Amino acid sequence: MTELLQALANGIIAGATIALPAVGLSMMYAVLRFPNFAVAGVASVGAYLAYIANVRWGLAPLATVPVAFVGAGLVGLACDWVGMRRLRRVPSSDGGLTVAIVSIAIMLALESILRFVFGNDLRSFDVPIMRDVTLAGIRVNPQQFGNLGIAVAVTACLFLYFRYTRMGKAMRAVADNPTLARLKGIDPAVIAALTIFLGMGLAGVGGALLGIDTSIDPLTGSRFLLTFFAASVLGGLSSPAGAVIGAVAIGVAEEVALIWLPPTYRSAVGFVAIFLFLTFRPQGLMGRR
Amino acid sequence: MPNLPYRRRFLKLAAAGAALGAQPYILRGAYAQSGEPIMLGALSPLSGSGAQYGPPMQQAIAAVVDEVNAAGGVLGRQIKLVREDCQTNPEAAVRAARKLIDVDKVVAIIGIWSSPVTQAVAPLCWESKTVIACASGADNLTHLPHQGYLFRTQPTTTLQGRKFGEFAVEQGARKVVYLSPQTPFVQSMTDNMAKAMAAAGGSVTALVYEDKKASYRTEVDKALAGKPDMLVLGGYVADTSVLVKDLYRAGYQGKMLSYAYTVNKQLIDSVPKETVEGIFTIAPSPAADGTAYARLKKIVNSDSPDPYTAQAYDHADLVIMAMAQARNASGEAIKDAIRKLAADGGQRVDNAAAGVKILAGGGSVDYVGASGPCRFTEIGDVAEASFRYEQVKGGKPVLLKIA
Repeated sequence: MTELLQALANGIIAGATIALPAVGLSMMYAVLRFPNFAVAGVASVGAYLAYIANVRWGLAPLATVPVAFVGAGLVGLACDWVGMRRLRRVPSSDGGLTVAIVSIAIMLALESILRFVFGNDLRSFDVPIMRDVTLAGIRVNPQQFGNLGIAVAVTACLFLYFRYTRMGKAMRAVADNPTLARLKGIDPAVIAALTIFLGMGLAGVGGALLGIDTSIDPLTGSRFLLTFFAASVLGGLSSPAGAVIGAVAIGVAEEVALIWLPPTYRSAVGFVAIFLFLTFRPQGLMGRR
Repeated sequence: MPNLPYRRRFLKLAAAGAALGAQPYILRGAYAQSGEPIMLGALSPLSGSGAQYGPPMQQAIAAVVDEVNAAGGVLGRQIKLVREDCQTNPEAAVRAARKLIDVDKVVAIIGIWSSPVTQAVAPLCWESKTVIACASGADNLTHLPHQGYLFRTQPTTTLQGRKFGEFAVEQGARKVVYLSPQTPFVQSMTDNMAKAMAAAGGSVTALVYEDKKASYRTEVDKALAGKPDMLVLGGYVADTSVLVKDLYRAGYQGKMLSYAYTVNKQLIDSVPKETVEGIFTIAPSPAADGTAYARLKKIVNSDSPDPYTAQAYDHADLVIMAMAQARNASGEAIKDAIRKLAADGGQRVDNAAAGVKILAGGGSVDYVGASGPCRFTEIGDVAEASFRYEQVKGGKPVLLKIA
């Protein structure tokens, strides 16, 4: 029983770290209608920005989160401006495939830029490492627990923003029905830019949390691209709330399965779970249609 | 036949055109005899988990090539080095190797680092009669049907596994868990460690995990469940940096043993000191007091070039000298000549430029490289190897012994 609860706790902690970039991916899909794979590259950029803020400027880990958010958001916007903006506007019959491929190219370019500036070396944040503490028989790590808190807080802010602000409502309106939203006088270009800023900012925070927990290198983001994408798909692709649940579900499924299976099958477990789930509910957890 | 003149004229023109078009080919054929450069490929990890090792490896190879070219080349021809990045990824490596073989037409691919990459690239090489030289340890590599085209300067996993097992016993460990991602050598490492430990009543359990994960908490719980007295960390730098943190968090305070390429300077510098304190490492030792190693230090401008850089230096020396030995620069000739470079009674050399000169004058050479005496067995394994034992103390690797 303890073993199961421990695996559950491990799964939630693992899921929380991948939840933010997955939410970013889902948000952008909801509004822009293409999977923006550049999230993986921007997550790495966020991780490096937080690293600079932490190691060079001496900011506390928590204080690096806004830096990663704003920095990654701006980088994401710049990438869109340079590479995707004009393609997005071309009405195409391929369902955004061209833009999606461009976003992969942008991810690779961002990685290469990071590699050029920082090199391939692994880098660690200046965060003291702590031993786990045992709470009711479950081991948790104070610092990983803190990361979980940050992830939960950021997600909560995001949902309050969607629920109560004018811009948040406008974004939901565009996601719901772009034509109708335009008739109501919502400028699609402004909403697209705002969505990209927020979505990429979330990816950046996710990268920063990964960096605080582990170590970073230029491949930090792309190493987890498949997991981000899987969480987003499981959640219904265009639902930010679904992405959170999807991420935690994948985290928990992978960890709990390890009780019976050798760890080498960990990713396979996650994907078999997605496969089975989507077979019976193709629209995902929170998807419509 | 009023149109005959036209037809004749057309034929004449066509013939002239064909001759003109063919000229570059004719010229090129003649040129190849005398001075077209010999193409040599270096396929090392410039990115991915081996990214730390590839650049100095290629630097050493390039320096050898430059030196030989400056001294007049080999067989009267210059050598042209083509560098490629294997990305420490077998798929990318296959694409790069295809380009080296099909487009650049290299005679040998050298400076290969990881076992999965060697395993993927080797069949392309022997099929195209291209020599392949690697610094990979997995046992099965030399058992592939490579017809002599593959040779390696890295000791096999059989030997490394035995050394790991013996060292674990020496440290008083009886119950060892070997944590490793999926590699071609995980099984043979486990078996050979177990064999070496069995005599002392010890045992080894392997726990194969997935690399590219952000957390290994559950894996760590599994590994520690049987209360082992030593953990052997068999991964690469990126996954091991996560693993040592999770081990520390879980409160593990027992002994740890790893490869020196895993717990290397990069890893030690990038994680909190206390997570790697006391870890023992084992690595194939370069011939640190040899003259070739002294030359290598100058080339790569480092006080202690790693064993793989030393091996890459030797790959370049061996392949180039083999061309001089065989008086032929084809892959087939190189593979046959490579074993004749450690001739008994030959003149002792530590670099290709000197070796080529001796061989061109009809002499024979006894090459001792930066990684040690490069004598190879029938199937291409290096015959002799010594190991370097270190321990991380106060954030720095400290030498325990070379044996």
